[in-house]
Amino acid sequence: MGLRDTLSAGDDEVAKQTMFGVRKQTIEGVVWSLPYLAVFTVFLLWPAVKGLWMSLHDWNPFNPAASEFIGIANYVELFNDPVFWKGMQGTFYFVFLSVPLLVILGLVLALGVNKNVKGKVVLRAIYFSPYILTVAVVTLIWSEVYSEGYGLINYYLGFFMENPPGWLTSMDLAMPALAFMTVWWLVGFNFVILLAARQGIPERLYEAARLDGASTWRAFKDITVPQMRNSILFVVIIQFILQFQVFAQPYVLTGGGPRDSTDTLVYYLYRSAFSQHNYGYGAAIGYVLVVILILIAIINFKVIGTND
Amino acid sequence: MTETADSSILDRLTNVSPRTVGVYVFLYGTALLMAIPYLYTISRSFQPREYLVDPNPHWIPPEITFEYYEFLLSESLFVQWTINTFIIAGGATLIILVVDSMIAFSLTRLDWPGQSIVLSIILASFMVPYYMNIVPLYTIVSDLGMVNSYWGVILPAVASPLGVFLLYQFFRDIPEEYEEAARLDGFSTFQIYSRIILPLARPILAALGLFMFVYNWNAFLWPLIVLTNESAYTLPIGLVNLYQGNLETPGLHMAVTILASLPLFIVYLFFQGEIVRAVQMQGTGTTG
Repeated sequence: MGLRDTLSAGDDEVAKQTMFGVRKQTIEGVVWSLPYLAVFTVFLLWPAVKGLWMSLHDWNPFNPAASEFIGIANYVELFNDPVFWKGMQGTFYFVFLSVPLLVILGLVLALGVNKNVKGKVVLRAIYFSPYILTVAVVTLIWSEVYSEGYGLINYYLGFFMENPPGWLTSMDLAMPALAFMTVWWLVGFNFVILLAARQGIPERLYEAARLDGASTWRAFKDITVPQMRNSILFVVIIQFILQFQVFAQPYVLTGGGPRDSTDTLVYYLYRSAFSQHNYGYGAAIGYVLVVILILIAIINFKVIGTND
Repeated sequence: MTETADSSILDRLTNVSPRTVGVYVFLYGTALLMAIPYLYTISRSFQPREYLVDPNPHWIPPEITFEYYEFLLSESLFVQWTINTFIIAGGATLIILVVDSMIAFSLTRLDWPGQSIVLSIILASFMVPYYMNIVPLYTIVSDLGMVNSYWGVILPAVASPLGVFLLYQFFRDIPEEYEEAARLDGFSTFQIYSRIILPLARPILAALGLFMFVYNWNAFLWPLIVLTNESAYTLPIGLVNLYQGNLETPGLHMAVTILASLPLFIVYLFFQGEIVRAVQMQGTGTTG
C-alpha cells in the first residue's frame, strides 16, 4: 500500500487536490467505479431485492401497481404444490447423478494427464473442447446419439441386446441420459482447474514421501488431496450451483417428461413465470433456490473445507 | 508397499508397465469417446436423409449433400442470428473489459471511503445464483424497453461480478513501485491506468475477454426469455427454435450444430491457452 501511504502522508499535496472540500482521490475513485456499479445496481442488486418483494405479491405483470400483497402465500402454495416437489426431486436426482461424476472424472483425468504421458496437449484440447459449446448444440448432438430409432448408442447396443431402450423416452433412463450428456459437456472445466491445482503441488513433497517409503495411495491421501483441497472445494461448489440450476437439457430434449421424470426447479420457475405469467410465484421459486444453494455451499465448506 | 516400489522402478526402466498401459488406454479411450459425437455430427451433416434414418450408422457418408447448409444460409435466419450473437457477445465482452478494469483499478489503486464496503457487496453477489434473478430482472428490462434489444442481453451480462473479482486480484498484486515512479513523473490517474496497469494486465485481460466472449456467445436461458422476436434471436435460441420446428430433419440439426459452433471452435483453436487460463484462474485463485 505504498502509494496510498505516500498520498495520505503528503497532506499538503492532498489538500491542494480538493474540490468542494472532497479529496480528489475520492471523486476519482467514485467516478472510476461508477460505470460498473450503475450496471451492477440496476441489473443485479435491484432485481435481487425486487424479487423478494415480488414473491410476496400476486404480481400483475401487465399492471404491477395493481399487484396484491399476499405475504407469504406464494411460499405456502409452493410447499403444497406437487409439481414443485416433483421438480425438487428431479433436480436433486440430476445433481446426484452429475456432480460426483463430473468431479471424480475431472480429477482422474487431471491426475492421469499430470503423469508423463505423451500427447498432453491433444488430450487437454479434447477434454476441454465440449465446454466451449452452447448447451443448445450439446442437446442437438445428443438427441441424435440417444435417438431410439437410429441413434449411435442403440446401434452398438443392438449387438448385445434385443431391444435397446429409448434413452430419452424411458422414465428411468431419461434423467441419467441428461446427466451423462452434461458430464461430457462440462467435465473439461473441472479437469483444467484440477490439473492446474495438481501441477501447483511441489514435486519435492512426493520425492520426500517416496524416500519415506510411502505408497502411492498414501501419497495421494496425504499430499495430493490436502494440497488440492481448495480447488476441489471450488469445483464441487461450482458444480452444485450450476447443476442445481439445470434447465436447458430437459427444456430442449424432454420437455420435463416422460411423465415429469425430468422436471427441474428452474424449468418449473421458467414455466410459472414465462408461460403462466405467474411472476410472484416464479420469484418465490427463485428465492427458495437461493436458500437451498446457500445451505449446500455451507455443507460443502463444512465437509471439505475445514478438515485440516 | 514393495509392490509399488517395484512397479515404479519398472516404470522408469521400461516405461511399459501394465499401469502405464492402463493410464494410456484410459486417457486416450476417454478422449476418443469424447470426440465421437463430433465426428458423428460432422459426418451426418452431409448425409441425405435416407442414410440418416437408417438404423445402421454411416460413419463415412455414402453420398454427400450440402442441402442442409444451403437451407440454413439461404432460407433461415441463421446469418441474422450469427450477427446478433457476435454483437451481443462482442459488445458485452468489450464493455466488461472496460468497466471491470476501471472499477478494479479504483478499488486497488485509488483510496476512497467506502471502497471496502463496495468490494464486499460485489463479492457477496457471487452468492446470488443468476437464475434467482430472472423474473424480477425481466420486469426491469421490460420496463426499460429493452426486450428484444441487444442491450437487454448485454447489460445483465455486464453486471456479472466475475471479471471484477479476477481483475481485482490481479491489480492488487501489481507492485506499487511502478506507479509511484509514474506519479512522481506527473502521470495523471488516467495515464497510470492506461499506460501502466492495462499493459501489465494484458494477459489476464485477454483471458478474461475470451472467456466472456465464449460465455456470452453460449448463454441460453436469459436470451431465451428476453429475445422473443425470431429476428432478434442469438444462435443458441435460434438453434433450438429451428430444432423444435423441424424435429424430423436430423440432417438440419447436425448442420446447424456445426455452423453455430464453428466460430467458437476457431477461437478455441487459436486461443485455447487463454480460455483455459481464465477457467483455471477462477478455480485456483492465482492469476499467474
